Amino acid sequence: MRESKKNGMEKKMERQYLVMVLPGFLIFTVGLIIPMLMAVRYSFTNWDGMSTVKSFVGLKNYMDLFQDADFRSAWWFTIKFTIGNTIIQNVLALLFAVMLDSGIKAQKLYRTAFFVPCLISSLIVGFIWLKMFSNVLPEINEILGTNINFLLFGDGKTVLSGLLIANNWQWIGYWMLIYLAGLQSIPADLYEAAKVDGAGAVSRFRNITIPMLAPAITICVVGITTGSLKVYDLLVSSTKGGPGRASTSIIYQTYATAINGRQYGYGSAMSVTLVIVLLLVALIQVKGLKKKEVQA
Amino acid sequence: MKKRLLSVVLSTAMIASVLSGCGSSGETQAPADTQESAPAQSEESAPAAAEDADKEPAAEASDEEVTLTVLAGQSTTDAGIEDMIDEALAEKYPNITLEWECVDWGNDFQPKMQQYMQSGLPDIMIGKAQDVATYAPQGILGEIDSTYLDRVLDAASANVTIDGKTYGLVYNALYQGVYYNKDMFAENGWEIPKTMDDLQAIIDDCNAKGIIPFASHMVDTWSIGNVTMQFAMNDVFNNDPTWGDKFRAGEVSFSDSKEFQTAYEYNKLIFDNTYPETFSTEQTDCDARMVLGEAAMKVSGSWSIQNFLDIDENFNFGIFPFPNQTGDSKLIFEPNITIMTSASSEHQDAINCVLDVLTGDKDLAVEIYDYTKTAAMLKDVTPTFANPSQADIDQYAADGMIVDVTLGNNQLVWGGFQEENAKDIAAWLQGDATFEDALKASDGRVDASSAN
Amino acid sequence: MTKHKMKEEIPREPYTKSTLVIQIVMTLVAVLFIAPILIIINYSFKTKKELYLSSPLALPQSLQFANYEKAFSKLDLATTFTNTFLYTAVSVLILALLCGSTAWAIARCRAKFFKFCYIYFIVGILIPYQALFLPIYIIGYNLNLTNTRYGIIFMYIATGVSFGVFLMNSFMSTVPLELEEAARIDGCSVFRTYFTIVMPLLKPAMATLVIMQAFQIWNDYLLASLYVSKKQLKTLTVAIQSLFSAQTSDYTTAMAAIIISVLPIAILFISLQKYFIKGMTVGAVKG
Repeated sequence: MRESKKNGMEKKMERQYLVMVLPGFLIFTVGLIIPMLMAVRYSFTNWDGMSTVKSFVGLKNYMDLFQDADFRSAWWFTIKFTIGNTIIQNVLALLFAVMLDSGIKAQKLYRTAFFVPCLISSLIVGFIWLKMFSNVLPEINEILGTNINFLLFGDGKTVLSGLLIANNWQWIGYWMLIYLAGLQSIPADLYEAAKVDGAGAVSRFRNITIPMLAPAITICVVGITTGSLKVYDLLVSSTKGGPGRASTSIIYQTYATAINGRQYGYGSAMSVTLVIVLLLVALIQVKGLKKKEVQA
Repeated sequence: MKKRLLSVVLSTAMIASVLSGCGSSGETQAPADTQESAPAQSEESAPAAAEDADKEPAAEASDEEVTLTVLAGQSTTDAGIEDMIDEALAEKYPNITLEWECVDWGNDFQPKMQQYMQSGLPDIMIGKAQDVATYAPQGILGEIDSTYLDRVLDAASANVTIDGKTYGLVYNALYQGVYYNKDMFAENGWEIPKTMDDLQAIIDDCNAKGIIPFASHMVDTWSIGNVTMQFAMNDVFNNDPTWGDKFRAGEVSFSDSKEFQTAYEYNKLIFDNTYPETFSTEQTDCDARMVLGEAAMKVSGSWSIQNFLDIDENFNFGIFPFPNQTGDSKLIFEPNITIMTSASSEHQDAINCVLDVLTGDKDLAVEIYDYTKTAAMLKDVTPTFANPSQADIDQYAADGMIVDVTLGNNQLVWGGFQEENAKDIAAWLQGDATFEDALKASDGRVDASSAN
Repeated sequence: MTKHKMKEEIPREPYTKSTLVIQIVMTLVAVLFIAPILIIINYSFKTKKELYLSSPLALPQSLQFANYEKAFSKLDLATTFTNTFLYTAVSVLILALLCGSTAWAIARCRAKFFKFCYIYFIVGILIPYQALFLPIYIIGYNLNLTNTRYGIIFMYIATGVSFGVFLMNSFMSTVPLELEEAARIDGCSVFRTYFTIVMPLLKPAMATLVIMQAFQIWNDYLLASLYVSKKQLKTLTVAIQSLFSAQTSDYTTAMAAIIISVLPIAILFISLQKYFIKGMTVGAVKG
C-alpha cells in the first residue's frame, strides 16, 4: 500500500518534471534536431540543394568521403586549429587571469582591454587581422628596420599561426573573465592555511587554484574545443580558406561543397561526420574532466 | 513505467511525424507545386501579359501600392546602384517599392537562391549572366518580355536564352584583359604584345629595370579563377568552343589537354613576376600600387577601373587581351548585371514596370554605368565617365576581336568547379601541391563542372 | 562584491617588485590587445586616398566624420540596433528561464528519460548549425517563422538551449538538496519548489548564461541572415556584413561602421562590468 502511494507520488512528480523539460525539449527538437535529422536524410541522397529530385544513393556519399583528399585536408586543418586553440587559449586565459589577480593596480582597465575584442563579431575580426597582417604590421618592420615576416595569411605554412593569433585575440579575454571570476571566489583562507603549512607559490597553484577552478576549466575546455571545431566565420572574411586550401576548415569545406558546389547530399554527409566527431570529443572531454573534478 | 514509456513513444512519434512532414514536402508538396506549375503558367500567361502590356502602359495598369522583393547578388562595383534605381522608380512609378536584399554574388547569392527555391523566389533577382544557365532549367525563372529585350543589345541576350526563351536582361558588361600603364609603356617603348614572346620581352625588360611586371592579388582566390578563365578563353575555347562539353563526355581532360595546361601555367608566369607578397595583397592595395607605378600590367577586369580612378583620376591606362599561343587572342567581355524575374510572382505587371524603368530611363542607365565604370548593354546609351581604356576597347570591338566569356562560364561553371580549381592552382603556386595534382583534381571534379 | 567574503577584500599582499613586473608585462599585453582597435579607429577617420597612399600608422590629415555619417545611414542604425537589442534581450531572458527549469528537472528527476534528455541537449552544443542552414530554413519556412521577430528569437533559443542546459546543469550542485526536500515535505509541488526555492538560488548562474549567450546572439550573422530579410527586421551584423560582402573598396565607411557597432555594446560592458563579473564569479567556481 505504501509502496504504491509512493509510486504514485513519484509518478506525479515525474510528470511535473516532464512539464518543465518539455518546452525546451520541443523548441530544441524542432529548431535543431529535426534539421539535423533532415541533413542525415539528405546525406543518403544526391540532392543538389535546388531541384525537387532527391534520389536515394545509399552510403555512396560516405564511401566517397574516404576518397576525398580535400575533405581529409580540411579535417587536418580543423584538428590542428582546435588543438592549438584549446592549448593556447586556456593557458593564456588562465595566465592572464592569475596575473590580473595578483594584486596589480587598475585591474578593471586591463579586464576591459582584453575583453573588448570578443564584442566584435568573428567576421570583422577576420577582416581586421587581414588588414593587420598585410598592411599594418609590415609598416612596423619598415619603421623599425626589422625584417619579421608578418604576412602570415599569405603562406600555407604560416596561415594557421595567423588564424590562431586572430582567434586568440578575440577570445582570450572572454575565457579569462571566467577564470578570473573563478579565482576571485576561491576563499582566501585556503591560501593562508597552505602558507602556514609552508607551501610555495607553485604548490599552492597546483593544489588549491587548479582544483578549485576545475568546473571553470571544464566549461572553458569544452567551449573552446567545440567552438574551434566549428570555425567558419573567421575564415570567410580573412583567408577564405586559402591560400589554396591551407586554411579550409571542415565547415568551410562543407559549405563550399553543399552550396557553391551544389552537392547538398554530399555536403550533408560531411556535416554528419562532423557531428559524430564533435560528439565523441565532447563526451571524452566531459567524462575526463568530470573525473578530475570528482578527484579534486 | 507505462507513463514513462508513453512519454518516450509520444515524443518519438512527434519527432517522426514532423520529420515525415518535412520530408514529403521536400519531395512532392509545397515547393514542388509552385515550381512545377511555374513553367506551365509562364508559358500560357506570359505572352498574354505581354500583349496586355503592349496595349496599355504598365503604369496605368494599377495604382495599387505594390512592394516587390529583390535579391541582388552584387560584385565589387555594383553596391550602391540600388539607391539609384529606387530613386528613378519612385519618380515614374511611385506606387511600387522595392525591398532590396543585397548580398555578395560570389559568396552569398547561390545560398540565398537555394534558400528561396525551398520557399518562394523574390520577385526580381539580380545576378550574372551565367546564373540563367543555372536556374532557368529548374523552371523557376520568368521569361523577359520582348518589349524590354528589344531595348538591349542583341548580342547580350544570346547566352541568357535557352530553347528560344530569354530569362535574363543583361544590363551592363565588364571587359577583361591586361590593364597596362600607358605612360609607362610609352616611356619604355613597349608595344602592345601580340604573342607570348612579345609579352616575355616586356617582362624581361621590366625585371631588368626593377619594375614589377604584373600587379596581382592572389589572396583573393577568385582572381586566380578569373584570370585562368581568361587564359582558357583564348587558348582553349578559341580553338575548341565546346571543350567543356567534350570534357564531360570524357573526350578531353585537364591531364591530357596541352592547351588547358598552358592556361594553368600562365598563372605561374604571373606568380613569378608579381609582388612577392601577392598572397597577402588585397585588390585595393594591389590596384593602388599599380597606379603608383610599381607595376606595369594587371590581368583583371573593369572592376579595377573604379579603384584606379579613385586613387588617381588622371591615371592613364589601356587594355589588351592576354596573348595566347596562336597570337590571335580576343578581348573578353562578360555580361555582368543580369536581371531575372520569378516565374511565379503575383506582381508581373509591377515587375514589368521595374524593367521599364531599368531599360527605358537613360539617365538612370548612364548614372549606373558611370558609377560602376562598366560598358552599356542598352541600345543608344553611352556612359560619360572618362575611361582611358575605352579607345582600346572600341578598337578591338571594331576589329571583331572580342569574345563573350559566358561561353566558357556556361560550360565550366564557376561555383564548385572554376572556384575549386583556382584553390588547387593556388596550392600549386604555393608549392603545397604539384601541377599534376592540380590537373588531376580538376579532372576529378567533372561531375560538378555543369550546373545541371 | 564587497559583501562577499572573497579574496579581493582580504588585505592584499604588499605591492612588491614582482607585482610591478607583472604590471608592466600586463600593460604591454593590453596595449597589444587594444592596438588593432585603435588602428581601425584611425582608419575610420581617413579619406579613401589616404587609406591606400599613406602609412596605415599615420594619423589622418583631417578627421573624416563623413565616413561616420555614411556608415550611420547605410547601417540604418535606429532600426538595426533596436532589432538586435530586442532579439538579444528577449532571447537571453527566455533562455535563462527555460534552461534553469530544464536543467533542474534533469538534475533532479532520476527517470531514464531525463538522463537521456541530458545527453540529448548536450548533442546540441555540437551540432554545427552553420552546416544545416537549408534544413533550418525549410523548417522555419514551413512553420511560418521566417521574416518574423518571434521566428528569429525561436531559433536563437533553439540553438542556445543546449549550451544553457549544460551550463545550468553544472551549477546545480550549488543548490542544496535539503531546502528542496524540506519544501517537498511541506507539500510543495515541483513547480512551487522550483519557483520559490531553486530559482532565486540560480540567479547568478542565470546571469552567467545571459552574458555568455548575449554575445553570441548579438554577433550572430548566419541565423539572422537566414531568417530575416525584411529591411525593418534586419540586425546590425547583417547590415555590417552587407558593407563588407560587396567586396566594396569603401573600406573607410566599413571601418566607421565597425566602430559604430562595437561602441554601444562596449559601453554597456564597461558600465556593467561589475555585475558581469559578479554573476560569473558565483557560477564558475562552484560548478
